[in-house]
Amino acid sequence: MPSKEEKFMKKSVVLLTALFLLVGLAVAGPASAADPIKIGILGPFTGSLAFNAGEMKKGMELALDEVNAKGGLFGQKVEIVYGDSECKPDKGLAAVKKLVTRDKVLVVGGGYCSSVNIAASEFCHYEQTPDVVAIAISPTITNRGYDYVFRTSPNSPMFLMGINKWLADVKKPKVVAFFMENSDYGRDGQKIWEEASKKIGAKVVANLYFEIGDTDFTTQISKLKELKPDVVFNIASTTEAALIQKQAKELDFVTQWIGVGGQFTQAYFKMTGPISQYAMGSSLEPTKAMKDPVTAAFVNAYQAKYPGSRPGIFSSQGYDNLKVILNAVERAGKPGGSLAKDRAKIKDALKSTDMKLSQGTIKFGKDGQVYTVLPSVVQVQLDKDCKPDTQIIYPVERAAAKYENPTPWSERKCK
Amino acid sequence: MSARLRNILLWVVALAALILLPQVVEDRYFMHIAVMAGIFTILTLSWNLLAGYTGQLNLGHAAFYGIGAYTSAILAMQTGLSPWLGLFAGGLVAALFGLMLGFPALRLSGPYLAITTIGFAEILRLVAMNWVDLTRGSLGLSGVPLLTPIQIGDFRMQFYFERDYYYVVLAAVLFTLFCIRRLIGSEFGVTLQAMRDDEAGAQSIGINPSSYKLAVFTISAFFAGFAGGLFAHFARLVSPELLALHNTFDVLTMAMIGGLGTIAGPILGAVSLTILSEALRSMEEVLKIDIRLIVYGLLLILTILFMREGLVGVIKNVWARVKGDS
Amino acid sequence: MDSLFLQQVLNGLITGSVYSLIAIGLTMIFGVMKISNFAQGDYSMVGAYTAVFVMAWVGGWLGWIGSVVAAAAVVGLLGVVTERLVFRPLMTRWTDIDMIMVSIGLFILLDNLAQLFFGATPRMIGDPFGGTTVDLGVASTSLLRLFCFFFAGITIFCLELFLNRSRMGVAIRATSQNRFAAQLMGIDINQVYRITFGVGALLAGVGGVLYGTLFAIYPTMGALPTLKAFAVTILGGMGNIRGAIWGGLILGVAEALGGNYIAMEYKQAIGFFIIILVLLVKPSGLFGRKEGA
Repeated sequence: MPSKEEKFMKKSVVLLTALFLLVGLAVAGPASAADPIKIGILGPFTGSLAFNAGEMKKGMELALDEVNAKGGLFGQKVEIVYGDSECKPDKGLAAVKKLVTRDKVLVVGGGYCSSVNIAASEFCHYEQTPDVVAIAISPTITNRGYDYVFRTSPNSPMFLMGINKWLADVKKPKVVAFFMENSDYGRDGQKIWEEASKKIGAKVVANLYFEIGDTDFTTQISKLKELKPDVVFNIASTTEAALIQKQAKELDFVTQWIGVGGQFTQAYFKMTGPISQYAMGSSLEPTKAMKDPVTAAFVNAYQAKYPGSRPGIFSSQGYDNLKVILNAVERAGKPGGSLAKDRAKIKDALKSTDMKLSQGTIKFGKDGQVYTVLPSVVQVQLDKDCKPDTQIIYPVERAAAKYENPTPWSERKCK
Repeated sequence: MSARLRNILLWVVALAALILLPQVVEDRYFMHIAVMAGIFTILTLSWNLLAGYTGQLNLGHAAFYGIGAYTSAILAMQTGLSPWLGLFAGGLVAALFGLMLGFPALRLSGPYLAITTIGFAEILRLVAMNWVDLTRGSLGLSGVPLLTPIQIGDFRMQFYFERDYYYVVLAAVLFTLFCIRRLIGSEFGVTLQAMRDDEAGAQSIGINPSSYKLAVFTISAFFAGFAGGLFAHFARLVSPELLALHNTFDVLTMAMIGGLGTIAGPILGAVSLTILSEALRSMEEVLKIDIRLIVYGLLLILTILFMREGLVGVIKNVWARVKGDS
Repeated sequence: MDSLFLQQVLNGLITGSVYSLIAIGLTMIFGVMKISNFAQGDYSMVGAYTAVFVMAWVGGWLGWIGSVVAAAAVVGLLGVVTERLVFRPLMTRWTDIDMIMVSIGLFILLDNLAQLFFGATPRMIGDPFGGTTVDLGVASTSLLRLFCFFFAGITIFCLELFLNRSRMGVAIRATSQNRFAAQLMGIDINQVYRITFGVGALLAGVGGVLYGTLFAIYPTMGALPTLKAFAVTILGGMGNIRGAIWGGLILGVAEALGGNYIAMEYKQAIGFFIIILVLLVKPSGLFGRKEGA
C-alpha cells in the first residue's frame, strides 16, 4: 500500500512543481515603462459591505473622470487598481501586497474596515508606500507614528465627540444606556461617551453589546425599555441599525437614538422608511442643506454622472480621498525615478496637503490624521411625504433644521 | 536504475525545484500566495488526518488554527518568547484544546459531531472577540513580531520578505508531511484505517478506538495550531476572523478536491485551489462579477458527485491508462 | 414574575417559532433520508427573496399571502430539483461525510449565486399590519410578530395533518421509522424522498418569508438560521418533528433569557452551549430516539 501512495506522491510532487514554476514564470514578466499612473484602492468590494464600498468607488470614479478628462497627470492617464479586502485582515493584507509589490502603485488609497487597514497601513509603512486611508476610523491606524500613513476623514473619537457638545448644551440627558456593536468602534464609542455622560451628570443604566450580523434585537430592546433611558447610544452599521429601529417600533419603545453617520445611507432609509425618524448621529453626509459651494459642486457633479442617485457619506469620502492623492502626486512631480523615490516624494507632498473638498478643508496633522474635517450633528427628519432624510441640527452656524424631540409611536403621523 | 534510486532522484529534483523557485520568481505577491498555499497545505493535511483516516468530520478546524496563531502571537508580544518556540507552543496549546474537544467528540458522529465542532469554533471566536484585554477584540493583534533572524557563523538569515518565509513554510510542510506519513505508514495508521472501515471489527480484535481517535484529534489540532503560528508571524496579524467557519470550509474543499484520505490529496488540493483562486480573482477583475466562491461551491459538489477520489483519483486513472496503452 | 421576564419569554417564543419552522424541514429530511442539509437556511433565503419580488409587485396583505404561496412553490421546487441532482446520487453511498460536504457545497453555491443576482444590499419587506402594536398587559409586542407566531403554528399544524392523514404522509412516516420495511410494503421510496425533500424545503421557504418579514433579507442571511435549525434539531433529536417544535421554542426562550440575565455578548453562543451540554449528557438529544447518535 505505501508503495502505491508513494507513486502518486512522486507524480503529484513533480506535477505541482511544474505547475508552480509555470505560474511563477508567467507572472514574473517585467513592467513596461509606458504604464499609466497607477493608484491602488483597497476596499471590501465583495461580501456584505460591498454596497458601501461600491458607494466609495462611485465617488472615486468621479474624481478619476475629472482628472482624466483634463488629460490625466503629466500627460499620462491615471488608472485605479482595485484590491478587494473582503473586510478580512488576511485577504486585505494579500490585496495590499499585490497593489504595492506587483501592480507597483504609487499610493494606496481607499480602505474601509479598520481591522484590515491597521494591518495594511503597517505593511505600507514597512514598504515605504504612502497609504491614504479613506473611511476606516480606528485611531490606531494613525497613532503609531508611521510616516507614510494618512487619513482623509475623521477618526472615531472625532466622529463621536462631535455630539458631546450638543448633549451637554441642548439635550442634557439624565439617564443613558449603551447598545453597541461588538467591534472596536462600538467599544471605543462606549468609552468616549461614558466619559462624556459622566461629565454632564447622566447615569449609565446599561452596557449592552451585540454581534455584527445579529438580526434579533428584541431581547436587548425589551431590557432597554424597562430601564427607560433618555438617550441610547447605538453604534451599529446600516443593516443592524435599521433592524433595531424596526424592532423598537414593534416593541413600542421610544428614546433618542444616537448613532454614527455611517449608518444613514440610502439603503438604510429604503429599509426603515419613516421609522428612523428622530435618530441622530454625527455625519459628513453632503446633504442638500449644506450651504458650502464646493460640496454643492460635488453633489451636482455626482448626480450628473449617476443620474437618480444621491451621494452619501462614503461617496464623498471616496471622492475626497482620491482628490487628495492625485493632488499630492501632481505636486510631487512627474514620476520617473525609482518607485521608492517617487513614493517618498509623494509622501512629502501629502504632508503639505491643503485642499478644500466636499467634506471640508483637508490638512494633515503631524500624525497624518486630518483634524480639520469636522462632522456635524444630524437628525433624521421627515418631509411632507414622510420621506426620511438627515438634517444638520448642530452646531448652530451650520444648522439647517431644529432638533425635534422623539414623540411616542402612537402620535406619529407617518407609518 | 533501481526503483528506489529513481524515487530518491525524483524527490531531490522536486525539492531542488521548490528551493530554487524563489530565485527565479521575483514577484513578491506570488511568493505571498505560495506561503499561504503552504500554510493551507498544513491545515488541509491535518484536517484530512482526522476526516480521511478516522472518518470524523471536524467543522471547527479553524479554531485550532486561530488558537495557534493567538498563542504564538501573544507569547511573543507579551513574554518575549522566541517566535520559533512560539510556533510549537501554539501547536501544543491547540493540541490541548484538541484533546478537550476530542473527549465529547468520541461519543458523537455525523451531524452531531459536525455541529458540535462548529459550536466549539464559534464559541472560541466569540471569546476572541470579547476578551479585549488579551486579544484586542475584533481589531485583532497587529505588529506581531517577525521570526527572529538565524545566525550560524557568518551566515545570517533574516525573516522579512515573503521569500524568507517561503523557506520556513516549505520546511514546515515537509516536517508535517514527514510526521503524517510516518504516522500513517506505521502500525498506528494501519489500525486507524481498519477502524474507519470497520469499527466493530477492530474492536473485536482488541483495539480501543477511543484512545486512537483521541490521539488523532490531538495530533490534527497540533498541526493546525502550528500552521496558525506560522501565519501569525508571517502576516504579523491575528484576528478573530481566523476562527471563522469560512476558513474551515476552504480547508475541507481543498481536501475533498485533492482526494480525501490520501496524503497527496491535501497537497494537490491546497495548491491547485490556491492557483485557481488567484486565476479567478484576475478573471473577476475582467468580468466584474464575483465568481470565485460560486466556482468553489460548484467544484465541491461536482467532486463529491463525480470524482469522489478527487484529483488523486483522476491522476491515478490517467496514469493507469497511459501505462495500459504503452 | 416581573414583566421583563415575561416580555423576554414572549420575545423568545416568537423568534423560536420561526426557528421551529425552519428546523422541522431539516429534521424531516434527516429522519427520512439521513441527510444533514447545511443548505437548509439557503432555502429560507430563496423564500425570502421570492417575497421581495412578489411584494415589489403587489403590496400589502395580498402581496404577503401571495409571497408565502410563491415562496412555498419556488422553494419546494428548488428542493425537489436539488434532491434529484445533488442528494439522490449519493443515497447509495451512505457516508455522512459526503452528504454533509455536498450540502456545504450547495450552501456556498447558493449564497454566492444570490450575492451575484440580488446584490449585497439588504432589503426589508413591508409590515402588512402597518406596525400596529399590541399591549398584552404584562408584555407587549407588534401584531405582526404575534401573527408570525400563529402563522408558524398553523403551518406546523397543516404539516401534522399531512403527515397523519394523507397516504403520502403515512408513507413518509413509515419510511422514517424503517426504510426497508417501508420498501417491502410497496412504498415507492424515490417518490417519498422527492416529497419529503420538497416539503422540507418548502417549510424552510415559508420560514424564510417569516424570518424576512421579522428581520432583514440579504444573500448571506441563511447561515444563521441553518446553525439555529441544527441546534434546534439536535436539541429535539434528529428526525423528531415534535422535538424540533419544542427545541425551537426552548432555544428562542433560552437565547432571550440568557441574553437578558447572563451575557448579551454571548447570545449567539447560547444555542451551542446548550447543545454541547445536552450532547454530553444525552448524545441523542433531549427528545431523541435511541438510535440517534
